[in-house]
Amino acid sequence: MATFFKFLLVGAIGSVLGLALTFVTIQRGTGFSAVKAGPWVAYPKIGAGDVDPYARAMLAHSGEMALGASEGLSFVARRDSTGAALDPDCDYTLTGQPPKARYWTLTLLSPAGFLVANAAQRHGFTSSQILRGSDGGFEIALSRHARPGNWLPIGEDGKFILVLRLYDTELSAATVALDATNLPRLVKGACR
Amino acid sequence: MSWLDRFLAGLLWLLGVVFVAGIVHLVAIFTLPGLEANDAFGRLSKLAKPASLTLLPSPRPGAQNMPFEDPALAQGVCLFDLSQRALRLHGDVDADRLLTLSFRTPAGQVFYSMTDRGAQHGKIDVLLLSPEQLETLEAEADDEDEPPQELRLLSPTRQGIIFISALASLPSERAEAEERIKAISCEAEEAPQE
Repeated sequence: MATFFKFLLVGAIGSVLGLALTFVTIQRGTGFSAVKAGPWVAYPKIGAGDVDPYARAMLAHSGEMALGASEGLSFVARRDSTGAALDPDCDYTLTGQPPKARYWTLTLLSPAGFLVANAAQRHGFTSSQILRGSDGGFEIALSRHARPGNWLPIGEDGKFILVLRLYDTELSAATVALDATNLPRLVKGACR
Repeated sequence: MSWLDRFLAGLLWLLGVVFVAGIVHLVAIFTLPGLEANDAFGRLSKLAKPASLTLLPSPRPGAQNMPFEDPALAQGVCLFDLSQRALRLHGDVDADRLLTLSFRTPAGQVFYSMTDRGAQHGKIDVLLLSPEQLETLEAEADDEDEPPQELRLLSPTRQGIIFISALASLPSERAEAEERIKAISCEAEEAPQE
């Protein structure tokens, strides 16, 4: 009898652990095919229809329509360039050279992928909207408070992530030699 | 029982737990996509009619069509069901402006994608077919030598979604981007004349 209960216990604990593991992997959004470059994470294989079961489960769960391989490549930053989680109480600067793409856009979203309401009604930039420096590089200030130049409001809702989409880019699943220097750096500034 | 026996017995039970956890985890990962009651096709069916182009409303905070949308894009959607007739997607594209197309399964997975650069002489002409329809078409065209003018695309699923996206580089260009989407038409292919 005791053995039977032990089997039952093993089954129950095992099931709970298995489901918990599933929940955590899907929530954290890490798959086998993730490509990392600095703070940016991309899943170039998803757009090519080559989807691992983890990525498939994550996409089904989030309802996201990932870009097709010929459309472009999207990168998500949930952390800054030092690896610290993004803090809505801090200012950040995003600096870099324009990514190698025909067009690109940068969008600030909530961690679940929704737009964050802000008084300026600005949710991102396109490559055409960015003010550039004399060397062709750009600098975007992320802050709750208005900043001169390229200002992206963080909003009052709380946590945020950044999504960088490169449309019609030469970078692809096959050629992803993702060097962190190709993509903009995200550096934390003052906090309050 | 010696301490070694106890240790080994405990280890065996622990292995049992790990084994069960692993199985449950794998089964959950594989079955989850099927269990999500409302897939992309189901959700979009509320916004769009099949075999016609529907312009999606531009995303605003609290009113989005789906998560992770790019607010700089104007997007149109065309749902297809190939069980009766094939689907033709055609129209003119402006070579200088970004327009992208993605062909997806009902769950939203991409099986083909292209941009305006894939257009022939400023026109996009795609015929989306099921395997049987492609077979019929190729059998009929047996005696003709000229290659088909359109891009013939085989759909792995009977139903699915086509997304058409146009970039509005500046907020003031949104109306123009929406016009470029409306320039693409999406309709069920007429049955061939006997």
